[in-house]
Amino acid sequence: MQRMVFEPPPSEPPAPWEPVEQPPDPNRHPIRVVVTDDLERSRLTVFFRLILSIPLWIWLVIWSIGVFFVAIVNWFLTLIKGRSPLPLHDFFASYIRFTTHLHAYFFFAADPYPGFAGKPGYPVDVEVDPPVPQSRWKTLFRIFLAFPAIVIAAALVGAPGGGGGGNTNYQDQGTSGTDYAYAASFASGFFLLSILAWFACLARARMPNGMRDLFAFGLRYGAQTWGYVFLLTDRYPDTDPAEPAADVPAEPRPVRINVEDDLRRSRLTVFFRFLLFLVHLVWLVLWGIAVFFALIANWFATLAMGRSPRALHRFIAAYVQYTVHVYAYVFLIANPFPGFVGAPGTYPIEVEIDGPERQHRGKTLARLFLAIPAFLISGTLNGVLFFVAFFGWFVGLFLGRMPLGFRNVGAWALRYGAETNAYFLLLTDVYPYSGPWEFAPPRPAPPEPEPEPAFA
Amino acid sequence: MLIGVALAAAVAGWLVAAYFLWQGVIPDGLRLPDVKETSLFPTSTLSEAETYERFVRWDFVVVQLVVLAVVAVYARIGPKFVRESAAGPIGTGMLLAMLGLGLVWLLQLPFGLAELWWQRRHDVTDASYGEWIVSGWFGLGGEFLFICLAMLIVVGLAQVVGDWWWLPGSFAFVGLALLFTFVFPYLIPGQKSLHRPALAAAASSYEQQLGLDDIPIKVQDVSGETTLPNAEAVGLGPTRRVVLWSTILRPPFTLDEQKVVVAHELGHHARKHLWKSVGWYALFAIPGAFVISRVTRRRGGMRNPEAVPLGLLTLIVLSILATPLLNVITRHMEAEADWVALTLTQDPRDAEGLFKQFTYAAHADPSPPTWSYVLMETHPTGLQRIEMARAWQAREEAGP
Repeated sequence: MQRMVFEPPPSEPPAPWEPVEQPPDPNRHPIRVVVTDDLERSRLTVFFRLILSIPLWIWLVIWSIGVFFVAIVNWFLTLIKGRSPLPLHDFFASYIRFTTHLHAYFFFAADPYPGFAGKPGYPVDVEVDPPVPQSRWKTLFRIFLAFPAIVIAAALVGAPGGGGGGNTNYQDQGTSGTDYAYAASFASGFFLLSILAWFACLARARMPNGMRDLFAFGLRYGAQTWGYVFLLTDRYPDTDPAEPAADVPAEPRPVRINVEDDLRRSRLTVFFRFLLFLVHLVWLVLWGIAVFFALIANWFATLAMGRSPRALHRFIAAYVQYTVHVYAYVFLIANPFPGFVGAPGTYPIEVEIDGPERQHRGKTLARLFLAIPAFLISGTLNGVLFFVAFFGWFVGLFLGRMPLGFRNVGAWALRYGAETNAYFLLLTDVYPYSGPWEFAPPRPAPPEPEPEPAFA
Repeated sequence: MLIGVALAAAVAGWLVAAYFLWQGVIPDGLRLPDVKETSLFPTSTLSEAETYERFVRWDFVVVQLVVLAVVAVYARIGPKFVRESAAGPIGTGMLLAMLGLGLVWLLQLPFGLAELWWQRRHDVTDASYGEWIVSGWFGLGGEFLFICLAMLIVVGLAQVVGDWWWLPGSFAFVGLALLFTFVFPYLIPGQKSLHRPALAAAASSYEQQLGLDDIPIKVQDVSGETTLPNAEAVGLGPTRRVVLWSTILRPPFTLDEQKVVVAHELGHHARKHLWKSVGWYALFAIPGAFVISRVTRRRGGMRNPEAVPLGLLTLIVLSILATPLLNVITRHMEAEADWVALTLTQDPRDAEGLFKQFTYAAHADPSPPTWSYVLMETHPTGLQRIEMARAWQAREEAGP
């Protein structure tokens, strides 16, 4: 069926003047998020975004009630027929598209007011492939299989959050259940970040592209999760931040991640990973105390000299490097037991930190306050890192490997955490970049506008 | 020749130190009367204690064999885990040592659970399986930290002084043992002050008689964990204290029996048993470290982390071999504390009652088989303690 839809019959070669349609990549996920957003934001709609979205939330609740019952019907039909019926498939695809639009709008990942029907064409949009046969076993146990993905999605977007109507799961608990579901949504990491985005968009009339890409990743993961729950596909949600495409930061990054991990994991060290980490925890605390005093000295020195003294910079950079090694180890993002000195070039997951550069004295003076948003973003990513490690522990124990997606999303979180620490500890005054630019393909440049005809 | 002289001097020094550490207050040539256990306990009690302890003994034996087998296999395969480390020799040594301990813990787990099941079946403990596993897990975390410190000392010193690490290393371990004994009282959870005026007054009186400073008597709440009665003397110098488990302050133990317990623990402090324990530890640690350094030379010595699994095997073999000797030493100290308690309380009848209660409450076999006595008993048996009480009484009645 898939071949018939996307590929021309081999007996009828296309005429040479017709464009050849490329067959779809068999590895691509059947549910994808495409971002065509231009980052421009209307200050007026940003200011009133919460109120403006109320009708959309009401409509989501009403639609979700219907989705709950239709989901049960769809589950039985998919179990019997081995695939989701096309009308129901389209119904859920529209629902997921609508919730993604709504969350993108609410989180400032897109600007236009979304429609109520979940039609394609929104700047943060969802593409869903047509229905294909699904494993009946996976269908039978879908809600249990989906549990890890739901937890990770909840850590990012909120329990019923972006790209899906998980709130339907709470319908059997009555109104309070629905309320709880939405409360969880609002308590999610993205909700906190959207407050930061609100200020940024109001101030600049423009969404920071790193943050937009972070939201887009979360919305894509949420869409795939709820697509999996609603039987749009039996392909598991992909945590790899390789999709959707992301912007490359405009300025060079002073803190860069270097990943040479081969995904292999030793089952024995995975089993004891937390206890093996304890000795590093003790050393982290002891070193951290020294870094605290070094930070105070560094703050005064950087304020006076306009740059961090080389010795202090080296000492603190080694600590930041060491934290990356240790957290990569305990969160299963890398395999070998790390050393204790944060030496560069010794670990498969590490950061490169540039030497001391000139820093803006005003930024140095207010660094503690300026770093707060970065810490909030880092906290959200660390939540994902925690759950990735939790589920990765079981996977590593059984397979002796870490899934690529888990490893990459963890490495992204570690890089952002290292950037945040480097910023806070005055190693650089370049603000951390939250987008997964190292792991995703660069977003293609928008097409050049057609030149005006000369006679016009 | 020089090595022979040095070895002879070391052995002589060891023996002299052991002689002085062994000296105690139990009169030389004290003869214990022959008491039949059947004259003290009903047959059903003896049978129950024997049944209970038989399982515990064989579980112990199997655990020892499993531990030996695990560390022997690990000594062979352990070095391949070097590839799981990106750390230097010290960090890699830490990793290999922790993994060895972790494997031992993992393979002991079923036997530990079996023993817990047996204890629960005999109402010796109230701990649930989940609690036991979680506390064991955290305990393993503590062991991991300790072994990392040990590896820091051993592998770190071996980087500097090569195969002579054992000399400064063993002194460092003795220093750590002193430090640990000193701070241990602060690590015991759930301690409260003793609110039994009569018992506290008796403790003060005993302290005066023994010439001790005021030693705090604390109560550790172990309800919900175990029903076993116990008490311990802990700390050195200003940290000295006596810790009574809450189980021993409840019936069926009488006030006079509790006084015997307090006198026994104060006896440990009066006879400086904690200092002596550290001394004995030094006497075993120094030659033990020397043996480990010799054995591990075939793998490049302890400077090479690949030798750590073999070092672990050597340590465990030495520990098992030393167990009978260490048990002799601890039994000697406990007997001496019993003698001090009898002298202080002048109450052999209640001392005998206390030792009888241990058999009832803990299902302790008053007369275990010899092999079990040699390998497992850190205290004199119940029967021996009763015999000592009667010997003390006979001696008192006979007069000077």
